[in-house]
Amino acid sequence: MGNFGQLMDGFAIALTTQHVMIMVLGVLLGLVVGVLPGLGAPNGVSLLLPLTFTMDPISAIILLTSMYWGALFGGSTTSILFNIPGEPSSVATTFDGHPMAKQGEAVRALTLAFTSAGIGALVGVLVITLLSSWVANFALRFGSPEYFAVYFMAFASFIGMAGSSPFKTLVSIMLGFAVATVGMDTISGEGRLTFGLGELSNGISFLIVVIGLFGIGELLLTIDEGYKFEGVKAKLKLSTIFRTLAEMPRYWVTIVRSALIGCWMGITPGGPTAASFMSYALGRRFSRRGKYFGKGEPEGIVAPETADHSAGSCALLPMLALGVPGSATAAVMMGGLMIWGLNPGPMLFSTRPDFVWGLIASMYAGNLIAVVLVLATVPLFAFILRAPFTVVGPLIAIICVIGAYTVANHMFDIWLALIFGIVGYAFKKLDYPLAPFVLAVVLGDKAEDAFRQSMLSSGGSLNIFFETPLVATMMAIGFLLLLLPFIGRLFGALLGKGNAAEARDGRPA
Amino acid sequence: MAIRISHAGAAAMALTLGLAAPGAALAEWQPERPVELVVSAGPGGGSDIFTRVVQAALTKNGLVKTPLLVVNKPGGSGSEAFAYAKDNPDSAYKIYFGTQDAYVLPLTTKVNYAYSDLKPLAAMVSDVFILWSNPKTSGINTAKDFIDKAKAAPGKVRAAGAKAKDADETVVTLIERATGTDIAYIPYKSGSEAAIQVAGGHIEANTNNPSESLEQWKAGNQKPLCVFTSERLADKTVIADGMSWADIPTCVEAGIDVKNFLQPRTVWMGKDAPAEATAYFTDLMKKVMETPEFKEYAARNVQIVKFQAGDEYKAFLDQQIANYNEIYKANGWLLPSQ
Amino acid sequence: MNISRNAMEVATALVTALVGALICYGAMENGIGWTESGPKPGYFPFGIGCLIVAGSVATLVQVGWKSMAARPAGEADSLVPFIDGQGLRTLAAFFLPIAVMTAISFWLGLYIGMALYIFYAMRFAAGFRIHNALLTAIIVVAVNFVVFEKLFMVPLLKGPILEYFGIY
Repeated sequence: MGNFGQLMDGFAIALTTQHVMIMVLGVLLGLVVGVLPGLGAPNGVSLLLPLTFTMDPISAIILLTSMYWGALFGGSTTSILFNIPGEPSSVATTFDGHPMAKQGEAVRALTLAFTSAGIGALVGVLVITLLSSWVANFALRFGSPEYFAVYFMAFASFIGMAGSSPFKTLVSIMLGFAVATVGMDTISGEGRLTFGLGELSNGISFLIVVIGLFGIGELLLTIDEGYKFEGVKAKLKLSTIFRTLAEMPRYWVTIVRSALIGCWMGITPGGPTAASFMSYALGRRFSRRGKYFGKGEPEGIVAPETADHSAGSCALLPMLALGVPGSATAAVMMGGLMIWGLNPGPMLFSTRPDFVWGLIASMYAGNLIAVVLVLATVPLFAFILRAPFTVVGPLIAIICVIGAYTVANHMFDIWLALIFGIVGYAFKKLDYPLAPFVLAVVLGDKAEDAFRQSMLSSGGSLNIFFETPLVATMMAIGFLLLLLPFIGRLFGALLGKGNAAEARDGRPA
Repeated sequence: MAIRISHAGAAAMALTLGLAAPGAALAEWQPERPVELVVSAGPGGGSDIFTRVVQAALTKNGLVKTPLLVVNKPGGSGSEAFAYAKDNPDSAYKIYFGTQDAYVLPLTTKVNYAYSDLKPLAAMVSDVFILWSNPKTSGINTAKDFIDKAKAAPGKVRAAGAKAKDADETVVTLIERATGTDIAYIPYKSGSEAAIQVAGGHIEANTNNPSESLEQWKAGNQKPLCVFTSERLADKTVIADGMSWADIPTCVEAGIDVKNFLQPRTVWMGKDAPAEATAYFTDLMKKVMETPEFKEYAARNVQIVKFQAGDEYKAFLDQQIANYNEIYKANGWLLPSQ
Repeated sequence: MNISRNAMEVATALVTALVGALICYGAMENGIGWTESGPKPGYFPFGIGCLIVAGSVATLVQVGWKSMAARPAGEADSLVPFIDGQGLRTLAAFFLPIAVMTAISFWLGLYIGMALYIFYAMRFAAGFRIHNALLTAIIVVAVNFVVFEKLFMVPLLKGPILEYFGIY
């Protein structure tokens, strides 16, 4: 129980009045930053960084991580209300969160998201607390083939579930890969698919893609479908929040499954984005209400949010122990660590236990504060939704345009986002699935890098993916996930109960 | 950003502050709006930390009155930052931070700027390169072990590094040429990622700046084999196993005939930046060198501290470009047009 | 000006096929082979391009097949509208101003583009009175200015007019 004692010391450090104030401030700033796409957590954190130069490292990291939690929660807010994910990891939240909000249940959707996110984060921190020494060593076992296997698992769980025409799914996922390929290639140092355009050699940012596909695309769809946001119906009753909170225990199976997926993906290099996608896909497959996913199903919100936040918390550990950041925000924080005079690495735990355990303790407290604060903002957001669409629409459009610009200060990116907007509109109306597209944009180049690094390493032999028990197991699980729908269908056909037909009809509109 | 009411307003303000003497105003050029510190790398990378340390040193010591914004432009291996310089040739408020990438990128890659779009200000420090292994998993304890292994199995022994056709891969090709070996180079996104691969026993060796492998050395997962400098490092603080930086043999001593390979940390402005501004910022960077924050940074990263500016620096740059041209020509990395 | 769903299916599939072909072409530049140390940089992009083309062609066939099958059965599947003239006009009325704003912002900076767009949208789409629309535009610009330039120090494109007035 050595860890437990150290955690208590950590709480003594984290729960001083000054540090709690810092947490509140950080979470509030994070909320603002997270709500504005394009600004996002990495920008917010790097903006606060100069402020921390004069603080002591513990206060500084508490400020930055609190801001990060705030930004994550803020990102879920825009995902649900406007279909604009502020962070890659909150894309999966849009699938059911936005439909639910459109049906006039925005308050319920937000409450579900925030509560499950909070639970996920706490599970993640708990895992860190109990397994910190083991996790650091385990993460070292991941070479390029293992990285690839992790990404393969994420893809496999998702491809199998796509409901619409397999050809459209194919086109969609491949277009996503193509977008991820544009720009500088890590392995060869050459520009790819740039067609001589300087703007393209910088690559296409994931944020531009989602602002276009989801944000602008959704605006166009809303107009097309001729209906306004039905937020008007949403009554601002505080009781909705409490009723939703009381509803949470019903989803305990989903929560446990998602938290497990999240922790696994956080400890391995999969990260929060892969975790939320995978959790959504598996939730849809294993939940009894899976066929309602995509139409505003509560479990479709709980699954990705829980996994996202448990992975986000768990991922902090490999970052501290190995010095490899899992996300852009983590990278900025790590830069901060080094400027404050701390070196992230295996020795940090023994040289600065006060820092590490103060941080871990602050993660418990910071997340609790974030959940409370963000629930307090729900009525405010619900209020925004009550405005007529002719007013809200142009304002969302402005947010999208500025968001696209602030990603890298390129006017070209705004045009790209507008193009992706049209693509998103047309694809959604023609039943091209967008989720595989986004997953491919996020993980495509990482998976390709890992594959090619493995090939360089093995001299071109594919056996490297089955050499060690770890990588072989993960690849096997991946194949199993890939084939599961077919196996299920086969069983259904054999049993002759017509389950297969039912499973097929279970796809979302 | 600051709103400057008008030129007249600024002059009036200067008058009230008693700074009206035109001669003094000209000599004492001061920034009057926020200054962008543009980094040719993403957050957390070596150039990013370098820039943020400069930012910290300037703000903490009150050397600049206006806000300083760090802007990351990592696109196109960092060429995005220098293309930004091309688009803003005469800005007095944009300073660019990089490495040798500023003048090396146009040699190998199609980038949308030319070296002539940049005005060199200074080089502040240089990072050294060290060859590392994980003795526990690979049995490689010395540089000689590594070379012997590479000779025994051509193309099978692997070395990891950051990015392709950049400093790390260049070092590996220099080793190959000096020892007549064939080493499989595997590029990763960053130096610390490469270090983890070696520490985890997945790859035999890596070339890295000292700070990126330091913690793994302390933890016993990595060991420095030799350093690519003409003389041994000066720092005698013991790090691990009774070994200090100064105990690492130079690669020439260890049997790899690669003399001096350094990565300068460089500062640039747009080619038409006003002379007063370049003079001011060059001077400012010199002041940064004296701050405790920067000194600590240089010590922690075991860098070679040498401030270079002016004509001597320009000559150094020309020499560097000529060197790289030669190495890259031998590697077949030059763009066809050159 | 009705566009049928079938027409849109075909048009989209043709566009994706074209994009796929373009990707194949772009990938050729990097080498598309498989060497002894793994794939060349263009290997995956080329495959991706080919699969996009294949998927698009398959979609085309599927659409053709369905409309052939639907006709004898008397189903009007091929006539299901994708969007009608009225819908298209509403859509264009929303989307084109955004595109125009982007174009204007290129010359005059984002703040002026934003102001013009909000004024237009509030006046003509939302039916505000002129002074209310003007007020909304000013408030939106002011809020954005404070949030981005002051609070978060993220400079947006200013353009020559603002620079002339000394706002950087």
